[in-house]
Amino acid sequence: MKRKKLLTVLLAGALTLSCMACGGSEGTTSNTDGATDGTATEAADDTAADSTSETGDKLVIWTLSNDLIDFGKRFEEQTGTPVETIVIEPANYPTKVQTALLAGEKEPDIIVGEPKMLEDFYDAGFFADLNEFGAQDYADQIVDYVWEVGQDADGIQRAISYQITPAGIYYRRDIAKEVFGTDDPEEIGKLFADYPTILNTAQELKAAGYRIFSSDAEMNVFSGDSAWVVDGVLNVDQSRIDYMDLCVQLYQGDLTAYANQWSTPWYQAMAGEVPILTADIQNYADDSVNVWDAEQFAEATQGMDTTEVFAFGLPSWGVLTLRDNVKDTSGLWGVCAGPAYGFDGGTYIGISSNSERKDTAWEFVKFCTLNEETADWWIEYSQGDSVSLKSALEKHKDDANEVYGGQKLYEFWLGQAEGIDTSKVTRYDQAIGDAWGNAISAIKTGEKTKDDAIAEFYDVIESTYPDITVNR
Amino acid sequence: MGTGFKIKKAILYILLILLGAVCLLPFLLMLVNATRSGVEIVNSFTLIPSTHLKENWDTVFKFFNLFQGMWNSIKVAVPATLLTAYFSALTAYGLAMYEFKGNKFIFTMILVFMMIPGQLGLIGFYNLCTRLHLVNSYIPLIIPAIAAPGTVFFLRQYVLSVLPPSLVEAARIDGASELYSFHRIVLPIMSPGIATMAIMAFIGNWNNYLLPMIILNKNEKFTLPVMMATLKASTDIQSNQGAIYLAVAISVIPILLVFCFCSKYIISSISAGSVKE
Repeated sequence: MKRKKLLTVLLAGALTLSCMACGGSEGTTSNTDGATDGTATEAADDTAADSTSETGDKLVIWTLSNDLIDFGKRFEEQTGTPVETIVIEPANYPTKVQTALLAGEKEPDIIVGEPKMLEDFYDAGFFADLNEFGAQDYADQIVDYVWEVGQDADGIQRAISYQITPAGIYYRRDIAKEVFGTDDPEEIGKLFADYPTILNTAQELKAAGYRIFSSDAEMNVFSGDSAWVVDGVLNVDQSRIDYMDLCVQLYQGDLTAYANQWSTPWYQAMAGEVPILTADIQNYADDSVNVWDAEQFAEATQGMDTTEVFAFGLPSWGVLTLRDNVKDTSGLWGVCAGPAYGFDGGTYIGISSNSERKDTAWEFVKFCTLNEETADWWIEYSQGDSVSLKSALEKHKDDANEVYGGQKLYEFWLGQAEGIDTSKVTRYDQAIGDAWGNAISAIKTGEKTKDDAIAEFYDVIESTYPDITVNR
Repeated sequence: MGTGFKIKKAILYILLILLGAVCLLPFLLMLVNATRSGVEIVNSFTLIPSTHLKENWDTVFKFFNLFQGMWNSIKVAVPATLLTAYFSALTAYGLAMYEFKGNKFIFTMILVFMMIPGQLGLIGFYNLCTRLHLVNSYIPLIIPAIAAPGTVFFLRQYVLSVLPPSLVEAARIDGASELYSFHRIVLPIMSPGIATMAIMAFIGNWNNYLLPMIILNKNEKFTLPVMMATLKASTDIQSNQGAIYLAVAISVIPILLVFCFCSKYIISSISAGSVKE
């Protein structure tokens, strides 16, 4: 009997509770929906770009990196406009933005994107035309490649980034002096001038008891030296083949420390001595060594030969990664140019085409990207991020970074960024690059011959993108 | 009672202890990692707690108020679970005990709907919510819970196996209305099955990520999984690793509580037969 009563009470409670919850949330949403109530008038599909009626002076930002929280706070302090920043995890950011904007959501005023998402966003018309606000007046102030990545296929400015992310090679100055007699970035850069030279450098370092890289994927950031797709035709440039050969030779010639990028030994190599693993360990074929666990790792690799790693290839945000992991080797690092120009990542800020507060939003975009005072603040606040505003880079070009032996990094990054050619960036880069990476892995481990692996790569591209012509 | 029996027992215990350890280790690791800094987590693996609990706590709360998220999740998960449980039981009972035209057809349709992934209609769902002004509210997360084909399917089979039709007939003869006999007789008998499905539904609602992520656009309305995902959006993921573990560790607590409560309930219900009532 008791339980029956309990159940009825529970159920009655359930119903009232759910009603309360609904009522409650309705009550609290009514004010947030109020903004859309007046103007939405059931015409959500009409994206109404022309209705610039200001509905309350505030700004809603949907972003995928925490940086904009700080930018937003600063904007609020300086202008008095309330800023609401919603952070969504990068993996689901495109889903969220697509769903909401396709359904006509007017809430976000500022939306952002990483280069790999941008083209899809441009095509879907999510970003408003910044040229309408006179964006082109500022064209000279931003590093060229960032400006170009922010343009859609028709050359209309859609987004601007506050960062530059050019790639560089981070190398150990002390090892350079010992082996090559110099630690000058210019001279070391020559050792990385092209893929055959890198192979020579690797052999020289091995002869001296060092390893050139921790993993064999370090040159990946530079490998985008040719476009994957040109006029709808798959383009496998000679440099791609050279890069493939380099990876295979580095691996088969025992020239790296056989770590995987972002694994424990890879991080450890930043701080000094690491054991030289074997190819089997890197492939997880030999699981006696757990590369994700330092203690077990140290135990399992006891008695293995150790070495020190000479270089890492990372975009400019690698400055921060190294800073956190170099420990005792702080000050012994340098940065030089790689075999080509490349970049990876970066947050691009634009205005949602559904926004009803486009003018305020434009003020915010200008504040983040074109305001020298903000750029100064960001360089200091982020402790070494590189900004895209030319005048700020110019101003900070004499800033010496102690982790990197007092090297003046901003000048260097500006130079690298100027060399980037955005016409080589396509929307297929991620998928095709991954497929190419798989082919390289298959060849280096001897699983497939080079011809077989490349043939399979073509098959994969043909089946993934039927609209790309593949000329074998 | 020879030594053979003792050895057998010893082996059994050792195996069970091993199994227990295997099950508990991930939990323990999560708790330990919640006290360690990101760099430590990336570099090594240990069961010795570190000293960074306070830092991780501060990191989490710098990003959001975890308890606010928990309260939001409760506001969604509890009503949704209760609705799922009650209405699924009602539907299952109807499908199992009444003979009417289209019964089979409805049941087949329910089976078919079980196989359609809910993510397919996201854009349409969002569109619907904008027009009904339900974006940013919990209603679109709670009300659809009424229709839970999987739960209905399970409970229908369950009713067929535990409820003798004569019981309901007896109630009818005594003059009970249909709804009254459902509430007073059928629900208590079904309660073990309902409790099982309620645990599943609660865990599902508690961990639901995609829909809240799409529907909610306000930081203060985010449910726990959505809040925790924003920790991963940091520019430097490494430094947030410990904070993520801490957040997950805290978010698991309600599930554990519900599980303890419900599993006790299941066991006690199974031992009580319908005839005794």
